[in-house]
Amino acid sequence: MAIVEERREPFIRQDGKDKVTGLGRYTADLTRTGMLHARFRYADHPHARLLGVDTSRARALAGVFAVLTQDDVPDVRYGGFVEDRTLFARDVVRFEGEIVAAVAALTPEIAERAVELIEVDYEPLEAVSDPEHALRDGTILVHDGWEGYEANEDLVRRGNDCSRSTIAKGDVEAGMAEAEVTVKERYVADMSHAVPIEPRAIVAEWQGDKVTVWTSTQVPFIARSGIATTLQLPEADVRVIVPHLGGGFGGKCEFHFEAHVAALARAAARPVRLVFTRREEFIAPDHRREGQVVEIETGAMRDGTLVARRARLVLDNGAYAADAPFFPQLAAMMVVGPYRIPHVSVDAHLAYTNTTPSGSVRAPTAPQACWALEQHMDAVAEAVGMDPVELRRRNIVREGDESATRQVFTPIAAAETLERAVEMIGYGRDLPEDEAIGVACGWWPSFAMPSGAHVKLHGDGSGTIVTGAQECGTGSVMALPLLAAEVLGMRPEQFTVVYQDTDAGPWDAGASGSQTTFNNGRAVVAAAVDVRDQLLELAEEVLEAARADLELAGGRVQVKGSPTTGVEIADLAEKAAGDKLLLGRGSGSPAPLPECDPSGCTGRLGMESFLAPTFITHAARCKVDRATGVVRVLEVAAAHDSGRVLNRVGADGQVEGGVAMGIGMALSEGSQLSADGRQLNAYLLDYKLQTASDVPSIQVDWVGAPDPNGGPNGAKAVAEPPCVPTPGAVGNAIAKIAGRVHQLPMTPLRVWETMQR
Amino acid sequence: MSATYAAAATLEEALTAMRAGCRPVAGGTDLVVGARQGKSALPDALVAIHGLAGLHGIAELPGGGLRIGALVSHADLVDHRAVRSRYTALADASAIVGSHATRHVGTIGGNVMNASPAMETGGPLMCMGAEAVLASAAGERRLGLDALLTGPGSTAARPDELLVAIELPPPAAAAGSCYARLEYRRQMEIAVVGATCSVSLDGPRVAAALVAITALTPCIMRVPAAEAALAGSDGGAEAIRTAGDAAAAAAKPISDVRASAEYRRAMAAVIARRAIATAIARARDGSESVPIPASPALHGATD
Repeated sequence: MAIVEERREPFIRQDGKDKVTGLGRYTADLTRTGMLHARFRYADHPHARLLGVDTSRARALAGVFAVLTQDDVPDVRYGGFVEDRTLFARDVVRFEGEIVAAVAALTPEIAERAVELIEVDYEPLEAVSDPEHALRDGTILVHDGWEGYEANEDLVRRGNDCSRSTIAKGDVEAGMAEAEVTVKERYVADMSHAVPIEPRAIVAEWQGDKVTVWTSTQVPFIARSGIATTLQLPEADVRVIVPHLGGGFGGKCEFHFEAHVAALARAAARPVRLVFTRREEFIAPDHRREGQVVEIETGAMRDGTLVARRARLVLDNGAYAADAPFFPQLAAMMVVGPYRIPHVSVDAHLAYTNTTPSGSVRAPTAPQACWALEQHMDAVAEAVGMDPVELRRRNIVREGDESATRQVFTPIAAAETLERAVEMIGYGRDLPEDEAIGVACGWWPSFAMPSGAHVKLHGDGSGTIVTGAQECGTGSVMALPLLAAEVLGMRPEQFTVVYQDTDAGPWDAGASGSQTTFNNGRAVVAAAVDVRDQLLELAEEVLEAARADLELAGGRVQVKGSPTTGVEIADLAEKAAGDKLLLGRGSGSPAPLPECDPSGCTGRLGMESFLAPTFITHAARCKVDRATGVVRVLEVAAAHDSGRVLNRVGADGQVEGGVAMGIGMALSEGSQLSADGRQLNAYLLDYKLQTASDVPSIQVDWVGAPDPNGGPNGAKAVAEPPCVPTPGAVGNAIAKIAGRVHQLPMTPLRVWETMQR
Repeated sequence: MSATYAAAATLEEALTAMRAGCRPVAGGTDLVVGARQGKSALPDALVAIHGLAGLHGIAELPGGGLRIGALVSHADLVDHRAVRSRYTALADASAIVGSHATRHVGTIGGNVMNASPAMETGGPLMCMGAEAVLASAAGERRLGLDALLTGPGSTAARPDELLVAIELPPPAAAAGSCYARLEYRRQMEIAVVGATCSVSLDGPRVAAALVAITALTPCIMRVPAAEAALAGSDGGAEAIRTAGDAAAAAAKPISDVRASAEYRRAMAAVIARRAIATAIARARDGSESVPIPASPALHGATD
């Protein structure tokens, strides 16, 4: 398949200089006159009945302006899939990061002191930290009385099982019986975290009945809804502004603490700022990557043909559902993987536990599930006596094949990613005895969401894109000028982008689900086309030529075939100024979900078919220190099908970052828990991110073709797929040297223990 | 919050302040970070010593030793030719403390006086016979590292005493040394297991050896059994294995978020063997290459 068109010239993004020079202002840098500082009082037990909260000593402390508990805010339950939360603990605390009270004071130190003075009376309850234990009958319920919660009616739930999804295709019993080889394994992934380098920060200020909230969120419109819902305000009275965002990786999706700070600011009648510590960033947000238990069984023929797949997944929901209820269905799709399998039965559960809640982190469920699946694929290859790349080659989905839910694939380049990755890494070459190459394939959907944009041209010929999309560091919003410029025959540098403000741009789902370019990109193109039509109308008069004979190029509207006959766009804009408004609007309507047959599936929450699916293969060359179990990833080759690549520099950057994140998940990033569910390593010395010195050489290539169901010009999702297969590829390399490690992260200790067996 | 903070212009000022109860601060990489993390509150009164000229710099001592001012940074140590060539284990250790930023701000004085059982420079200094020079209004005194370090976070220095320098005796002829650490990643790492070896050779045989283990006991400590296994040996695999096993036997490992006790003990032997083998190799070929990827400055340095 041909390499697609792509932009390779460097493009200086609007926020680039601010960020690299340190001039950029983040939320924690903001100060308002008279501003106070907020601190939270967290639960002292991971699970306890709340008998009483006495804030009198805290309120009496000099310098304290407000102390709030659930009694001081509207008694509203909220949650996207299950309304299982309140802003502050009401009757029960369910994890160590549950907020019992909040304080606003003159200094952070006074606020901290006041928080300590709050007296809380508890009746401790048994805490359940193991998701498999949580699902057993007789285990204490994390949410006693959950039947009374409002919830999405497609949710299948029972006891501590917050959401159950199944996939059934064919007859898995018959398939297993028919198979010549069966392999059954169990994999366990620890919880991990998004770990944005900027811990979240929020500033709230009221003016009359209206509140402005500056917050480090990936999803300003969803944050606005959360504030309005929980504080019972009209959305029109809430304005959310996002200063530069210091990374999110999904952890800053959804509504979190904006309402707490807004409520404090109202009670104190002063602006209030909250800045999280690193520990809080680990403990309190309901958006960590969930732990998984994956029991997986595959039946195959001796020639490598996959016949049947059975799997049972238990995902750790933590104490509240957040956006995790669709995880079981997505994880079920992930353990089937991009392979043809006639008989499938997957049963996936999301178990409430007394731990920090799970939520979307970059490609939720996929890296862990893919790590288990792809190591399992290598185990199947070993059992049938076949090279693992050859096994994948024989089973990977191609055009016309159908998924486990009978979605028929339109042209895709899954197989091409496999071939390109193994070619780039030199699979099969001789290596030192302590090195090996592991390969893993993965897939990931693009998500269709509503989105809109305005494009306007000013009298000086420059342009502004007004969008509700949110930049989270990936560059997707910063690259929107490329799309407008292409339509209008202008340079991207001629456009500024107004975003970050719910009072400015149209509603957008925010920086989540790799959706910005996919959806908002289409809206920007439509808005630019609208402006182009207006320019052509003006140019018709000036040039006395029919619109069909005109084109926009090089900053001019000109007659096709006679480029000397034309007019500068800037001149048209100047002429229009004060008379006609050059303002375009656009809202690309996304393609519907591909047809499929989910009749054998339960717990359907929209993941049963994948729109414009992306495919990925990563190959990792690793070195294992046999004496210590320390693994170094020396080289990664990443081949991706994301449809048409619009901005090669930006897309490559997403892959490099995703691979680095994937290596972290593979080797060093995982939370260790106490028996009662407290995180033991909630700090960066012992929650080990990979450093710049650890990241290997990464080769990136793009082998997809434009997808007719894709975003602008056939682009598919880019941001999430790059971290999907990396842990699996690393795992397969380790297995060749040290034996198979069935726990994630594959720490030196675990690799060493594997070698001792 | 610290109640008072004053920057001393002279050693006398600093010592007077310490006598009045002030605690010293130099790079602040342990003190300030520890306070921010809630490990221990900042002292009520701080005296900053970064301006004390006499505490900066590395000087050759008459007779071939080295005097390292307490304010010398880890980066300075790594860049110093004599440290690399004659006290190589100290260069190994200094090259892997924290990150580039930590190494440029953090000082050897702070590293030693913080007295962490996991500190990088402690083992090398102990195996090189270093003495801590402690000053107070009453005068100076010297303590060997093993006498100075009395427990996790505690030293034999009195509250009014300030570490002003570390003095290293000249190395023996045909000597080599190495500090090795178990590393889960290449920067921002803390020793889970560390080991130091300093050897001198008499022809093909090991004349004398000093071995210390780091992060395996409440104080960094020498391992006499390992030293005995090496002294007089041919420095071959068998002697190194025996010495490594002795290091593991001397360890009192714990289980925590960083490792299990069993793994720590096993790694004590592995890392000790590596430190010993490299020290012997360096003694044999006079090599001073410090194989630490975190320090491009080191690899780039050719002077």
